[in-house]
Amino acid sequence: MARVVFNNVRKEFVDEKKGTFTAVENSEFVIEDKEFVVFVGPSGCGKTTSLRMIAGLERQTSGDIIIGDRIVNDLHPKDRDIAMVFQDYALYPHMTIRENLSFGLKNLKKSKAEIEQQVKQASSILGLDELLERKPRELSGGQRQRVAVGRAIVRNPQVFLFDEPLSNLDAKLRIQMRVELAELHKRLGATIVYVTHDQVEAMTLGERIVVMSNGIIQQIAPPTELYNKPNNMFVAGFIGSPAMNFMDATIENGKAFVEGAQIALPQAVADGLKSYEGKKIIVGIRPEHLYGEEFAHTVSKEHTMDVTVQVIENLGADNLLYFKVGSRMVTARVHPETIARLGERKRLVIDISKLHFFDPETTQRIALS
Amino acid sequence: MQQKSKVVLVGVATFVLLIWALITIIPLYWMIIGSFQDSAASASFNPRFIPDSWSIAPYERFFNKTNAFRWLFNSLFVSGVLTVTNVFLASLAGYAFAKLKFPGNKSVFWILLSTMMIPSQVTLIPLYVLIINIFSLGDTYTAIILPSLVTVGNIFLMKQYMSSLPTSLIHAARIDACSEFGIFYKIILPIAKPGLAVLAIFTFVAQWNEFFWPLLVTRSSSMRTIQVGLASFKFAESTDYGAIMAGATVGALPMIILFFALQKYFLQGITVGAVKG
Ligand SMILES: Nc1ncnc2c1ncn2[C@@H]1O[C@H](COP(=O)(O)OP(=O)(O)O)[C@@H](O)[C@H]1O
Ligand SMILES: [Mg+2]
Repeated sequence: MARVVFNNVRKEFVDEKKGTFTAVENSEFVIEDKEFVVFVGPSGCGKTTSLRMIAGLERQTSGDIIIGDRIVNDLHPKDRDIAMVFQDYALYPHMTIRENLSFGLKNLKKSKAEIEQQVKQASSILGLDELLERKPRELSGGQRQRVAVGRAIVRNPQVFLFDEPLSNLDAKLRIQMRVELAELHKRLGATIVYVTHDQVEAMTLGERIVVMSNGIIQQIAPPTELYNKPNNMFVAGFIGSPAMNFMDATIENGKAFVEGAQIALPQAVADGLKSYEGKKIIVGIRPEHLYGEEFAHTVSKEHTMDVTVQVIENLGADNLLYFKVGSRMVTARVHPETIARLGERKRLVIDISKLHFFDPETTQRIALS
Repeated sequence: MQQKSKVVLVGVATFVLLIWALITIIPLYWMIIGSFQDSAASASFNPRFIPDSWSIAPYERFFNKTNAFRWLFNSLFVSGVLTVTNVFLASLAGYAFAKLKFPGNKSVFWILLSTMMIPSQVTLIPLYVLIINIFSLGDTYTAIILPSLVTVGNIFLMKQYMSSLPTSLIHAARIDACSEFGIFYKIILPIAKPGLAVLAIFTFVAQWNEFFWPLLVTRSSSMRTIQVGLASFKFAESTDYGAIMAGATVGALPMIILFFALQKYFLQGITVGAVKG
């Protein structure tokens, strides 16, 4: 039973140059027992600071942190029943892999037999058996990564904390380790809090995702909900690749007018936007929800926009078409055989059911009841 | 073209370094050669550059007429103790300043650092008065050792070095239930070994060659270090250059051996702090 709860947690740093600086602001969330939650956001948004506060490596300026049933505000890291995997692995370079794995257990005065048993178990789960007598510098990046995970496993903690554990691996290894971590989570049945700046990692690993920006939590939701119903323009732009397109529009008579297109909105949507009648609004559409006319088999061809293609990128499985709507660059991810030529007009079909609407002032999603 | 100018550059550099090496080595060579020449040649101090006869008589005279073994022991003892205390205390303080949060961390460090700006001549007399008159420690090992237990320069060096060690190791150890002193002792000290070795060697050499302070606070011949002893010997036997050369060789020998044994660390010492660990 180990939930992790933040109650209005705030962290300030006093920096010589920047003065008092808030790294994490009014952070509130409940991570359920056995849940895999991923914190994601651009570099410097306060992810590591949040994780360190859970670990007890940083003391929050205010607010309460609860792990399991205990308020752990002033508990030493060793008493929080957590284990952490660091971005740079932080393996003790002068110890063998075996010593690295057993260091924590020795400090906890566990019996020799128990240490032996735990190390054996972790090393067989992670395939480290052959490496136990080596030093960290004799290992490859992927192997070091496994040892770092192993060091967390042997402690058998209630909560695992991962700080960008895959960011030092090459792309192929990263995908492999991602799969392994997902399996590990199933196998261990422990609560996992995982930090990354990579939205793909977040989407593939997280049961729920916490999106942060500038020390503020923007949204907490499962991956599909983040993708389908982003709270605001930041989340909408951060989740998904290529990023969601934004277009300036005006609402008139239940229609959204953007440059080059006039989108008749379904009744329900038009009703929801009633209060914006005659006002400016921001329409969001993901690149994958724009189709070349000839390949729009799955959506109605009722709603189209004509654009002048400025750049074409061929990705093999898809083509990316870039064009301008107003002053904003917009991307369409279309079927690779879509006919489009540089500088020529192209008619695109819009999947009307996948439109997002944002208030230009607050950048918040407009809820369509 | 570039290849050619590089060759020329390397050639010039080699030549300059060769001259420099020669200038450095000749006095040493002279000292060693002088110490192995018989008394007649030594008395005039006109030793042959390539001697025609060898003799260990100067060494016999040196060891017979002086307290040399005691001086060597004193030097070894004082330098050894100070090396241990400096390495331990400077690394402890350096670690604390570099990695631990405590109130006044910065200000205490700056106060310490500012004392380096005061020339040692300024504090010499107060220090002398303190050690000799107030603590009455004259002519003791304590008097030689106490003021140099740990130097601010070494603390500064260690702070710089410790700053380059990854903080995540400390965090990992803290989560691994290691005590704060355990982190220093079991994690930091082992991984800081190269830095500590450099500090140890430089401290030992500096202390071995220390002259003025031991001269001030010791009186009896049996308390002198080798450097102070050599100086007093010179005044008494101003003509026996052979024996003086023998003494100087004996005094320098440990440093020469140390250098060749630990060459690697001397070279490292030049770059310590510059490279990230
Ligand atoms: N010990 C510290 N002292 C001062 N500022 C810090 C400290 N740790 C982090 N910060 C600042 O807090 C902000 C958030 O940092 P961090 O949590 O590491 O971001 P990230 O999301 O990249 O992990 C950054 O602007 C960083 O500079
Ligand atoms: Mg980080």
